[in-house]
Amino acid sequence: MTDTPPPAPMDIQPGRSGFFRQMSIVWLVPLIALAVSLGVAWQNYANQGTEIEIQFENASGIAAEETEVKYRDVTVGRVEKVAFAEGLKEVLVTVRIDNEIAPYLDQDAEFWVVRPDVSVRGISGLDTVLSGVYIEGNWNDDPDFQQYEFVGLEEPPLTRAGQNGTEIILRTKDGSSLTTGAPVLHKGIQVGYLETPRLSANGNSVTATAFIEAPFDRRITTNTRFWDTSGFSVSFGTGGISLDVSSIASLIEGGIAFDTVVSGGDPVRDGDNFDLFDSEESARTSLINNPDLPQLEVAVMFDGSVNGLASGSEVRFRGLRVGTVAELNAVTVEDRVFGPSVQLRTVLAIEPGRMGLSSEATPEDALDLIADLVRTNNLRARLVTGNILSGSLNVELFEEPEAERAFVDLAAKPYPIIPTTTNVITDVADEAQGVLARINALPIEDLMNGAVDLMDSIEQVVRSEGVSQAPDEIVALLQDTRNIVGSDDVQAIPEELRAIVTQLNSIVEEAGNADLVTRIGGLVDSTSSVVATIDTATQNLPTLTTEIEALVAKANALELAALVTETNETLNIIETFMATEALNAAPEALVGLVDDARALIANDDLQAMPGDLRRVVGEIDTILGTLNEADLATQLSEAITSANNAAASVEAATSGLPAITAQLDELATKANTLDFEGLVKETTDTLAAINTLVAADATQDLPASLSSALDELSLFLGEVREGGAIENVNAALASAADAARAIEDAASSLPALSSRASALVSRTDAVIQSYGDRSRFSAETLSTLRDIQEAADAVSALARAIQRNPSSLLTGR
Amino acid sequence: MGSVGHSNSELITAREAGLIACRRCGQVHAGDATTCARCHGALRSRDSMSLQKVWAWLLAGIIAFIPANLYPMLVTRTLIESSESTILGGVVELIHYDNYGIALVVFVASILIPIGKFIAIIYLAISVQTRSVLNMHQRHKLYEVVEFIGRWSMIDVFVVAILSALVQLNTIASINPGIAALSFALSVIFTMFSAQSFDPRLIWDADRTAA
Repeated sequence: MTDTPPPAPMDIQPGRSGFFRQMSIVWLVPLIALAVSLGVAWQNYANQGTEIEIQFENASGIAAEETEVKYRDVTVGRVEKVAFAEGLKEVLVTVRIDNEIAPYLDQDAEFWVVRPDVSVRGISGLDTVLSGVYIEGNWNDDPDFQQYEFVGLEEPPLTRAGQNGTEIILRTKDGSSLTTGAPVLHKGIQVGYLETPRLSANGNSVTATAFIEAPFDRRITTNTRFWDTSGFSVSFGTGGISLDVSSIASLIEGGIAFDTVVSGGDPVRDGDNFDLFDSEESARTSLINNPDLPQLEVAVMFDGSVNGLASGSEVRFRGLRVGTVAELNAVTVEDRVFGPSVQLRTVLAIEPGRMGLSSEATPEDALDLIADLVRTNNLRARLVTGNILSGSLNVELFEEPEAERAFVDLAAKPYPIIPTTTNVITDVADEAQGVLARINALPIEDLMNGAVDLMDSIEQVVRSEGVSQAPDEIVALLQDTRNIVGSDDVQAIPEELRAIVTQLNSIVEEAGNADLVTRIGGLVDSTSSVVATIDTATQNLPTLTTEIEALVAKANALELAALVTETNETLNIIETFMATEALNAAPEALVGLVDDARALIANDDLQAMPGDLRRVVGEIDTILGTLNEADLATQLSEAITSANNAAASVEAATSGLPAITAQLDELATKANTLDFEGLVKETTDTLAAINTLVAADATQDLPASLSSALDELSLFLGEVREGGAIENVNAALASAADAARAIEDAASSLPALSSRASALVSRTDAVIQSYGDRSRFSAETLSTLRDIQEAADAVSALARAIQRNPSSLLTGR
Repeated sequence: MGSVGHSNSELITAREAGLIACRRCGQVHAGDATTCARCHGALRSRDSMSLQKVWAWLLAGIIAFIPANLYPMLVTRTLIESSESTILGGVVELIHYDNYGIALVVFVASILIPIGKFIAIIYLAISVQTRSVLNMHQRHKLYEVVEFIGRWSMIDVFVVAILSALVQLNTIASINPGIAALSFALSVIFTMFSAQSFDPRLIWDADRTAA
């Protein structure tokens, strides 16, 4: 620091004048920073949105500063604070909503918490499992009076504001099958859903709002009926068993279906009420029975039991349902002559509209109609089987053609009474049970045992030596026969036959040339009309069927069991018979017989027989040749014409058939009344007698006699062989040849014969025409039928005779 | 500018001697020189704007420091949740998890030191303006400490930058810098500028005037 030069005078500059000249440019930096900060702060404040408050019952999953508020999955706000309302009643969630959204938050705005939800209809809100819950809001696009406080929903609403559709209210007595969100189906397609069902204020019914989406809501009119399709339904009615299963979803959480069958209803508005029916059937039925229309109530007094008839059973008229059974009750009727009696009164509710009357018809009109029908058409009420299996009954209004005159008791209180007729009730169950019980009671085991024993005996017979020898003998017999067949004469027979066939062929050809086919066509036409007549006749058959049914019932009542027992015993006896020694000896005798037969065939004379046979055939050939020459075809043609005429006559005659059918019907009735039971009893007795007879000693001796008879036969055959029997046969054949020659001569006179046959046919024609006179023919038929009846009586008498003297069956009269 | 414990009145300053030293290369020039003959740097005996610059940068630094503490420094997003943590919040959280050491480091580096710097700079500036003659040596030391320590405040920003760059696993987990990170970085930079703007020679000028 030594020798420092003297400092130069410091030229101190005066400071810059003016405030701004004194300022550093760096000041801009904090200014900018401040401006930016303030700008950001303002931006934040301006963007923080509108504060709203939503009330929830609990804030499960909602976190301040974290849970977002979404509208159509776009975040529009964020939960700022979660706090309690005064008195800890509710949870107040303070939410900042974007300013541009806030104006839309008016009265219709709804908020709910979206949580994961797994239901039959699907899984929703799965994203919230990881991200945490969020609040979903829903409001329409119409800014209205803005609100700042809302009450949150506990469950997501099913209907979004702004969704097009119609809300209707369904009423039902039992809400067990209704669940929130259950589908509303129309022809199996989901068109809407149910909101939460609620109990009505008085607790009598359950109401549920159903939302039907547009455009399906146009399908609903005031005539629409809703029904419950929950789960599956099994109904067992007159139509049999029916099982209905709707969609799986509706199986689990229920469902509603609707349909509009009747047109002409008015369109529905939001909030219209509808009844919910238990089943499709009842819904549809309700549509048909318009409950608004008055019904005619009439009473029917049925005799006997009405078991199977129930309130709601159908009332049918010519097969069409016209009403239902309204009630069943018993009433005591005082009768001056017979004293008090209990009668079953069935009240029928008949819909006038279903009786063919106009929709404005009153019950009185319907009563007038029924009264007229009862008077003029013999309308009667009767019970008919509704369902064979369930045994349910229906009431049928039946027009009985041959009923006694009756009238509707219009004066009866409280309801007019319709006359009844015989009920048609088929109790299949009872009959089937009876038959089964009888079959069950049959001594089938004994019968089987008897049969087994019989088989054993037969086996013993078959195993005897004689029987085992028989095949050898038969083989030898066949050998001989083959020799005969192989002889030249026999071989020549086919040739001869062929010649005959050729002849026949030419005859047929000639017949073909004649106008046969056309004539046969005419014949067929005639037959056709005959058939038509028979068709008319068969229309009376149903009555006949009923009679036959009764006959079967009688057959059912026959004493089969006794018969079987008898048969069984008979079998036993036959078995004993088979086991006798004599019978066992029979095969050997048979063998001897076959031996003899064989020797007979081996005889030379028999060998010569084919030659004779051939000669005879030759003669026949010649005869045919002659026939061919004659003008047979023409004659035949004429004959067919005559037959044709005859058929026409038959046609005329058959128009009287219906009457015959009626007669047949009567006959069946008579047959029905025959004493079949007696007959069977007699048959049974007869069998018993046979039994006794077979068991008799003499019968036991029969096999021995038979055996000796066979021996004699054998001897006889031996004699035949030795005697000139064969020569005699040969001579007979020669005579046959002569006879053939004589026929040949006769054939030449055949044309004359044909014309005579033709005349005969014409005459037959005339006879049949006379039968065309209906009354006479019918009378004849009637008498014939009467004869048949007598014959039946005779059979009956015969049976009785057999009963008295069974042995006559074997010994003859 | 060697200064000893002697009474300063005995010494003559360069300024008084009509000399200007270049602050970059140390070349001494005559008082009227405006440019360094050696390094061509601008020569100024005293920076008349120094205090203004200090205040301006300081103000900017303080303004930036406010959002740096209010807004989240880190935005951690995992599959399940997303969390935002401010500086102070992070410290509290670390203490909560018993990481006292790290909490202390974060607290010192991110809160104590910046605030300390603000206070130190304010103190220096005020003391220069009031021409205080007290503790001139300590004040000069303080200035040097402030200048030195300033750059270490950026550690926070670096940590955030590295984490953000490393933890980017798309949907599973990601860490993003928050607004506070930027603000903090700005605050540190502004404060460093502020410290740089301070002309320590002014500290000693008060001594001269007082003499």
